[in-house]
Amino acid sequence: MYSLLFKSFFRTKIFLISLVLLVTVGVISILIGKQYLVKQEKAIIAAQAFQEESIARNIEYHNDDLGLLLYYLRFTLIKQPSNLGAISIGQSDVNPLLQAVTIRGLEGQKYDTDFENPSLLMSGNLDLGFVIIYLFPLVIIAMTFNLYSEEKELGTWRILAAQTSGRAQFLLKKLGVRILFVFGVLIFLFLLAGGILSISINQNFWAILLQSILYVFFWSILCLFIVSFQKNSSFNALALISTWVILTILIPATVNNYVLNRYQVPEALEAMVEQRDGYHEKWDLEKDATMTVFFEAYPQYKEYPVPEDEFSWIWYYGMQHAGDLTAEDTSMEMMEKIMLRNKVSEKVALFIPTMHTQLSFNSLAGTDMVSHLDFLKNLTEFHEGLRLNFYPKVFDKNQADSINWKMHSAKFYKTSSGFSWATLLLPLFLMVSLIGILTLVNLRKL
Amino acid sequence: MRKRVIYLLGTQLWRDAFRSKVMQVALGLMIFLLVFSAYSGWENYHDQNYSRDLIQDEVQESWENNPDKHPHRMAHYGSFALRLKHVLSAFDLGMENFVGNAVFLEAHKQNTVNFSEASMSTGLLRFGEVSLAMLLKVIVPLLIFYLGFATIARERENGTLKLLIGQGIKRKEITFGKWLGLFGLSMIFLFSIFIVVFSFVLIESHGGLFADSVLRFVVLFVSYALFFAILSAITILVSALSKTAKGALVKLLGIWLLFVIIVPKSLQAMGYYLYPTPSKIEMETSVEHDLIQQGDSHNPDDPHFKALKDSVLLVHQVDKVEDLPFNYGGFIMAQGEKLSTTIYNKHEERLYQVYQKQNDLERYSAFVNPYTAIKNLSMAFSGTDFRSFLHFKAKAEAYRYHLAQEMNQLQMDLIPNMVKAGPEVISNSYWKEFPPFEYSFLTVSTVVQNENISILALVLWGLLALLGLSRMSTNLKAI
Repeated sequence: MYSLLFKSFFRTKIFLISLVLLVTVGVISILIGKQYLVKQEKAIIAAQAFQEESIARNIEYHNDDLGLLLYYLRFTLIKQPSNLGAISIGQSDVNPLLQAVTIRGLEGQKYDTDFENPSLLMSGNLDLGFVIIYLFPLVIIAMTFNLYSEEKELGTWRILAAQTSGRAQFLLKKLGVRILFVFGVLIFLFLLAGGILSISINQNFWAILLQSILYVFFWSILCLFIVSFQKNSSFNALALISTWVILTILIPATVNNYVLNRYQVPEALEAMVEQRDGYHEKWDLEKDATMTVFFEAYPQYKEYPVPEDEFSWIWYYGMQHAGDLTAEDTSMEMMEKIMLRNKVSEKVALFIPTMHTQLSFNSLAGTDMVSHLDFLKNLTEFHEGLRLNFYPKVFDKNQADSINWKMHSAKFYKTSSGFSWATLLLPLFLMVSLIGILTLVNLRKL
Repeated sequence: MRKRVIYLLGTQLWRDAFRSKVMQVALGLMIFLLVFSAYSGWENYHDQNYSRDLIQDEVQESWENNPDKHPHRMAHYGSFALRLKHVLSAFDLGMENFVGNAVFLEAHKQNTVNFSEASMSTGLLRFGEVSLAMLLKVIVPLLIFYLGFATIARERENGTLKLLIGQGIKRKEITFGKWLGLFGLSMIFLFSIFIVVFSFVLIESHGGLFADSVLRFVVLFVSYALFFAILSAITILVSALSKTAKGALVKLLGIWLLFVIIVPKSLQAMGYYLYPTPSKIEMETSVEHDLIQQGDSHNPDDPHFKALKDSVLLVHQVDKVEDLPFNYGGFIMAQGEKLSTTIYNKHEERLYQVYQKQNDLERYSAFVNPYTAIKNLSMAFSGTDFRSFLHFKAKAEAYRYHLAQEMNQLQMDLIPNMVKAGPEVISNSYWKEFPPFEYSFLTVSTVVQNENISILALVLWGLLALLGLSRMSTNLKAI
């Protein structure tokens, strides 16, 4: 029985089209992932070289003035890329992989973007995640929409009904053959990706794979559910494509629009202006205005003298820090709003398989919004670490060559991503079960 | 061809459509989506521009309120340029949310345009955005296919096509009649959306933008009408060429998926794959290398600046820079700014050329994919394409350069040179004289030039559709 079903399936045009489509686009998506990794690698090497070179060059000119030297020097914090990111590039194309900052005010440097072609950002990355979320369902739809109606329309259903004991079983077997094929392609693509992108097989990898399998299963069951109403082929095609459009385009886009409008972030622009004004106005004020704020934040430097009538680096870096302090509250509000956007999106996503799958892919691959915010938080700590390290040396007027610059190479930061299996898999699992039960009820009437 | 017959066939298609469930569901869905996207598009446009306007004014106010100081302090104080949205961005979001919105303009440094909506969004943004234009570009084409796939194919299946021809109705009349009916249906969506858009244009008609907006509006309307005419023709042709209605539907759905979803994205991705771009740090490295090679103002022995010094001394016939009749520091900074800006802009220009190559692959596919033509055209005329963004960026950079150089000039003219005695600050009336940043949109004629490929492709598609319909009329099989 199965061998016959396989044979007849392999003879269909749709089998060939699906195979070619999935494998071609799948391979392209993996190559794009590869290119993404190469680009990251190149950027990291460039950043490391840049930092080393610029330190060496600037010391030559400003050895006597450490304060001035540090005005120029930039120190890099790099987010350790995970190869899993190549499967689901997520927001990591919009958000920079690394940030090179001076020890001046951070707020004005923190949000600098990397260069990326906006047309590409708009059309989105063609990563393996896209292939799984968008194309696999289409292929499943194409292979199943006439699962029953085809037999009916060709007139073969009556013969089949007479010859097989369980009509529902027959349909399930027919579906099974198709799903098996889709799973085969899915596993093949994952193996290929694992090899080409040298992905380490860890918990997150298994989680993405499991989620993908569940997702494919969700669409298969959904198709069977529509088919189980025993309508004609045209109706099924219409209904399924409409469902696809609603689930992959309309609902996520609507939710996105809603979230963006509901939680607007004018704070981003406000913080930007506040920081500049908070810093620059200090030039025109008494030095005390700066130093009170600075010493309140860092009492350990109270002992350093601040000359009243001339420029001093303690005053300068105090002013710089005052700018950050002025913008601090607004900046926090902005972060909270962005987190809120994320929270709301994730909550809604629990009910929409496409959204849930996309968001959890991104979060498992460390390419989501949360992981970027985490990077920014680490950048703030990194920046403070640098300042506290350099402040006393600048204030003591140390020579630049007294510092061990070898210690100051570009630093890496590793994301720590924990996840809960229940939140990851349960939503889809429940949905599959629910639709499965409804389908079985429908199939009994067959 | 008899007009009356064509009209009759067209209205018949309307009557059938309104009786079908598809149309009822589609209308319900479209009304919801129209209301939602009109509301969210307008709100987004209005709120964002409102807060940006406010901040831009604030920026100008704080600039003017600076006390007397050294002009170079003001060059570092700098300014901000905030990108304003075109009113038609409420219609087509285009790249709005993927490009930055604010840039800090200061001396010596070209900052990136930051705070794009995308940088503050979750991964959901990648599912796309709902806008009125998106409904017209993505959803309505699908509806046209839904409503039209059966037109001729089902008549043939039912045998009514034979009857029609038997009654003396010409084949040409059948194809054009059906086409007219389907096109008319699509115009319902077009009109309802463009009425909303026109009200947007009317509300925001102040400030001399009205004529420009209306012109853009008209171009958009005509383009979309042509696009729908082409799609209706494709639908009728596929339906006429298919044996069964089911076959026509499957083919049309395939066309939609391929042309709207898969091909544009794949071509964009291919462009990215074929023409790799440097990361920011790589470009910064090469800018710095070029700069050091051409003239390093930090290096006291730099040949470029040494030669500059010698020539200035020669022109003014003095031996030492201290004796120059202007502030030498200001002069050197002006020269440095000029040099670094030229080099930076050259590199940036090169980067954008690569972007253009990446995009061209998709842009030229308009000749095989009418969706691409309308997509690019719609973005451009809504002021939300990449060129519009670059226009903003160029304006902001020009303002930055002007600001920096103006401050350098003030320093040269008014601050005493080197050790000479005199005031180190100048009056704040100079800040008040410096004009604020003002943004203007691209002119319509520039947009037309930018989009000539898309326009040409759409017109060619229109001609092809017309040709297809008339060829079909002679070859239409009755059975």
